[in-house]
Amino acid sequence: MTVVIGYFGGPEGKAALHHGAMEAQNHGQRLVVVDATPTTGSDSDALRQLDHGGIEYQLHEARLPDPAENVLQAAQEHSASLIVIGLRHRSPVGKLLLGSHAQRVLLEADVPVLAVKSPPSATTG
Amino acid sequence: MGEAALSALASLTDPSLLVMLLVGVVAGLVIGLIPGLGGTGAVAVLMPLTFGMDAPQALALLIGALAVVHTSDTVAAVLLGAPGSASASVTMLDGYAMAKKGQAGRALTLAFLSSMAGGLLGAVGLTLAIPLARPLVLSFGSPELFMLTVLGVALAAVLSRGNVAKGLTAGLLGLLLGMVGTSPTTAEYRFTFGSLFLGDGLSLVAVALGVFGLAEIASRVGQRGKPEQIVKVGGGWLDGVREWLSHWTHVLRGALIGIWAGVLPGIGATAGTWLAYGQAVATAKDKKEFGKGDPRGIVGPESANNSVEAGDLIPTLLFGIPGGVPAAMLMGMLLTYGVQPGPSIVTDHLDLLYLIVWSFAIASVLGALLCFLSTRGLARISLVPFAVLGPGLVVVMLLGAFQEGGQLGDLWVMLALGVFGWLLKSTGFPRAPFLIGFVLAVPLERYYFLTDTLNDGFGWLLRPWVLVFLAVLLAPAVLRLVRAVRARRNLDHDDEDRQPPAEEEGELADSTWSLFTAFGALAVFAIGFLTAGSFSAEARLVPRLICTLGLLVGAYLVWRELRRRTRRPARQPAEEVPKLAPDVKVAARTFAWMATFLLLVTLGGYVAALLLFVPAFLLYVARARIRVVVVYTLVTAALVAVLPLLLPVHLPTGILPSF
Repeated sequence: MTVVIGYFGGPEGKAALHHGAMEAQNHGQRLVVVDATPTTGSDSDALRQLDHGGIEYQLHEARLPDPAENVLQAAQEHSASLIVIGLRHRSPVGKLLLGSHAQRVLLEADVPVLAVKSPPSATTG
Repeated sequence: MGEAALSALASLTDPSLLVMLLVGVVAGLVIGLIPGLGGTGAVAVLMPLTFGMDAPQALALLIGALAVVHTSDTVAAVLLGAPGSASASVTMLDGYAMAKKGQAGRALTLAFLSSMAGGLLGAVGLTLAIPLARPLVLSFGSPELFMLTVLGVALAAVLSRGNVAKGLTAGLLGLLLGMVGTSPTTAEYRFTFGSLFLGDGLSLVAVALGVFGLAEIASRVGQRGKPEQIVKVGGGWLDGVREWLSHWTHVLRGALIGIWAGVLPGIGATAGTWLAYGQAVATAKDKKEFGKGDPRGIVGPESANNSVEAGDLIPTLLFGIPGGVPAAMLMGMLLTYGVQPGPSIVTDHLDLLYLIVWSFAIASVLGALLCFLSTRGLARISLVPFAVLGPGLVVVMLLGAFQEGGQLGDLWVMLALGVFGWLLKSTGFPRAPFLIGFVLAVPLERYYFLTDTLNDGFGWLLRPWVLVFLAVLLAPAVLRLVRAVRARRNLDHDDEDRQPPAEEEGELADSTWSLFTAFGALAVFAIGFLTAGSFSAEARLVPRLICTLGLLVGAYLVWRELRRRTRRPARQPAEEVPKLAPDVKVAARTFAWMATFLLLVTLGGYVAALLLFVPAFLLYVARARIRVVVVYTLVTAALVAVLPLLLPVHLPTGILPSF
């Protein structure tokens, strides 16, 4: 079985990578990371951290134009048992006006989704 | 209604109409293969041929081409992995993947059949729109039509890819350019700077061919086609048919998305196709195969990009608001025949409307059929490097622009606008709002003064449909403001939408060129504002209004460009000197070539100039083989020399031969 991490960048993305890696290790599962940052190759620092941590993972090549679809596709392809994504801190009104990739994944995934928030200190700025 | 539809079909049995339709389809298929031309190029290249024809023949030719440009562009995308148009790059995702698995036949069958169905469904959509919109259109008075024209330009500016300020600037510049010539209300000359030639305004063909055609040539001549391997066409044709039938819901959905994208001004085939692909992926339960050769990734988008062109025609014909660039040119052509798109076409020219519908439907079927028969040949055409096509296209386009007014001045205007169009394209300004603004400038002003004289005060602003249009106009602005406020309070920031690759690539988007363009626009608006001071009060009002808006938007653009520069971190040395990127050099050289050609035409006439220009360009720029150069030149010259005998086409004559 596999844990798929949808990495959308930002501090919450890093949190998702962290928690996803822990999940995979705790249950001895394979780890697949989907780099779905809107601007391609923006900060792979977070991914490099995984490398430094000596964590083995497979990078899923993004083929589709939509980031959320890439995550869902990866989950199906690797028959994931869990998807891990990062969530932003937002208010209900903000959610009403704006859409998000995370929401798409939450609504459309057919496996459990672990939604992780970034530690509060990292959000400001 | 039904009678008019049937009589239009009966009129299509006229051999001259059928021949024109067939010529249009073949031309459309070939043009569809050339990267960067698309529907705009098809209409622009063919339109000059229609000047001597009757309206039905001309429409059959143009609609025939427009209906099929998106059918053939798939061939290169599937077989070469090199899309013929930006919208075909969507088909490439799954089509090329399928072809690499040896199933190109299957991919092409799916694509052609979907294109055909998209065209047919588009025609159905257009037919259904006529009775639905008819009562609405007939109830519209000048206030509603005025609001619609404003909305047409505004939506094109807002919805075009890239940022809104750039879209608005382009739209306002287009409006201003459309004001050149005689004022519709007071019959005085505006912005002609004493030139008699500008008194009639600028020719639509010259503007469109310049901003889109020549600009496209200049930016693509540098691209050298790598000798790529054509994928074997392979089998799977029957599989394709079967699969296509099982995915009929995707065909239908794609077509509906396409029509909708077409109806909205500024959203064209490219965006419509990406929407259809996104939709296909989003609604699919099983997403594993997308990007690896999933039939659903071909069917929906292919269906959408053909129906977009039909959708474009709906607002164009019924309201006189072009839904896209090709439609804007078609509207200009209809005007030269005295057919006023909008309410009057529904009452007076219903037969033409149905002729368009039938032509579109028949051309869609014919186009798919021809594609099935000639796949290999089409693939070979698309291997020809653009630099070789360039001189031929330049000759055809310039000849085309000459037909409307028969003046060499038009050609120089076209060249100047070519440079301008290239600048817009490479600095990331959308060009569609520019042309839509240009076409709508005169109607906008006319409807405004009609509204003003027929209504006392501003009571017309409260008419129900005017209020609706106002709401549509303001809603995006309000939403944007809300977002901006929220972003500032740092409450929320949303995921950036990953935009599909745009048609307007904007390689120089953040360079000094972009700042220069922003300053240029600002200067044009300032000059326009000052020049308008000498007009009478009535002729001054609208240009002043446009220039004021233009000054505001232009100032914002300049401010943003400057701010980006000052905020740039110091360790990244800012390129203060406009660095001549290789693309810029190629484009500059190409424009110089075109200018030389025009000088030669002025001196020696068209055929003589062509005999020098074409071989020289082929030898020096395209580096073609001698045999190709000789044959190419002779064929082009022979065609240009024979054309005036067959069609009412005029060749520019030079100074020297008359001595």
